[in-house]
Amino acid sequence: MTYVVTENCIRCKYTDCVDVCPVDCFYEGPNFLVIHPDECIDCDACVPACPAKAIYRDTDLPDAMAHFLGLNEELSRIWPNITDQRDPLPDAASWDGAEGKLAHLER
Amino acid sequence: MPSTAKHIRSPREEAFLAQVTNGKYDRQIISDITKFATGDVPQDMQNFYSREELDDILSLKGTDRDLQARMPIKMTRHYFEQAQNSRPMQVLVKASPRETLDLSGAEDPGKQLTYSPCEGLIHKYELGLLYVAATCSAHCRFCYREELIGRKEILREDGTTAPKGLAQLGEVSRYIKEHNRLVADNGGRHPETGRERLREILLSGGDPMVLGNKNIAGWLAGLAEAGIENIRIGTKELAFYPERFDPTFFAMLDAFHEVYPEVNLRMMVHFNHPDEFLRKAPDGSYIDNPKGGLEWIPATRRAVKELARRDWISIDNQSPIIRDINDDPDALRIMQRETRRNGIENHYFFCGRDIVGYKAFNVPIERAWHILNESQKGLSGVEAHARLSITHYKGKTEVAAVTNEPMPGVRGAENGVLIFKLLRSAADASERCKVTIVGRNPDAIWFNDYDDRVIFDEAGLYSMYGVKPAFLEAAE
Repeated sequence: MTYVVTENCIRCKYTDCVDVCPVDCFYEGPNFLVIHPDECIDCDACVPACPAKAIYRDTDLPDAMAHFLGLNEELSRIWPNITDQRDPLPDAASWDGAEGKLAHLER
Repeated sequence: MPSTAKHIRSPREEAFLAQVTNGKYDRQIISDITKFATGDVPQDMQNFYSREELDDILSLKGTDRDLQARMPIKMTRHYFEQAQNSRPMQVLVKASPRETLDLSGAEDPGKQLTYSPCEGLIHKYELGLLYVAATCSAHCRFCYREELIGRKEILREDGTTAPKGLAQLGEVSRYIKEHNRLVADNGGRHPETGRERLREILLSGGDPMVLGNKNIAGWLAGLAEAGIENIRIGTKELAFYPERFDPTFFAMLDAFHEVYPEVNLRMMVHFNHPDEFLRKAPDGSYIDNPKGGLEWIPATRRAVKELARRDWISIDNQSPIIRDINDDPDALRIMQRETRRNGIENHYFFCGRDIVGYKAFNVPIERAWHILNESQKGLSGVEAHARLSITHYKGKTEVAAVTNEPMPGVRGAENGVLIFKLLRSAADASERCKVTIVGRNPDAIWFNDYDDRVIFDEAGLYSMYGVKPAFLEAAE
């Protein structure tokens, strides 16, 4: 059981989720955040905090986003932990809701 | 209304927090009943719910009897593994349709919002309670904070509705300092409420031990800086995931104690049944430790011993008495003996509160008293410190005695009496140890079940609701 960050975080990275996460289970890449599935305690705090509405409970994950479960698991084991909120990426507002953002994911 | 601006750390706080590291934990939490239904759980958990149980639970989904909506379903691997050999632990953690058979009960048990001066803080006399987390590693089905954990819309004092929110350190710290300044300026009592200084804060939720070390350390240091002398952590993590009490946690505590040596930590732990901490033989019996006492689960005992050997930390156990979990004098006797032997004081046992669905969990008040009394027969004095408490709107109340003998000539006392003693009043101290006596009602599970047989009400548990002693009613 875990929560999952999905496509609409890419190139936005608002980090409001990091501020509310009680267990500091977010990990940070260049333009995307992920949740460590073993560390997440299923508290639900990040879902309403995300301005991009990019976070889902795994059981609510839309089929089109199913592959993000594995992606969160994989990248959270590589990327560094993020524990403090930062400014969003410069063009966050214009990328929020854009199509096909997965192609822009930087590792 | 205190400002919601962020807390500003002192150099001393910064220096302490810079030393703190977060541990890594793998609780292997399973939540959501659909995972059991679809088989999306590890192989050894497949039969934790029977097919019949799952069908019953899933048939309620989306109705007003939805179990997951009443209280999210959740458990850790550690708890699951112990529960495999423990019926009481299964009842504690497994959802059951009986929970929503009767949905009567209070949305805000204990009327906490009446005592809430800012979001997430309940100020009851000299003690403040903070909601710092809205979840636990696993969820007790009988949880009396189900409205917080389940994020339910609660009617506020101002008439609006919203889920209960979590406390913010900045706001809480300013409230404490302002309250204590007014008390100090007024010779030791608050000019309006007559309350004393806030000396003690309980970190609660949810379970503060789900938070990372840095997050917990932020609360400890922030409260110490605000002048709090005793900080309680209310936790069931010793039962759900004892590995949480790891070297990084104790390093954080030791660093805190270096910087704030006069602040005490009071761990308020929550074991309901000895199965939660004792090892069992294949036949289900506990295992004698040849050196004395019984064998504990090693990780749990290690955590308790690490807490107990720090002289600035005390450990107290509190537990409600819940139907089919621990309404068992023998289990409670073993629990009280073993906790005390290992450095855990037995503080309170509670009658279940009038939460939504309480009729599924509560045992009658007089039966709870009898169970605790039976459990304490054969305990030594120091092992039997725990009292039975029931939480009245006015404050924590002891169920002090239940008699079997009638009181001749007293209306309502034909079958004996029950004596309530107000232990601490939520608003002020003046009513401490006042008494209320009611005639017995073996079926009573809440105060109002005695409304028709109040005999004596010095504590005002009934008069505040306009309920008069029966003899006065008869005279009118």
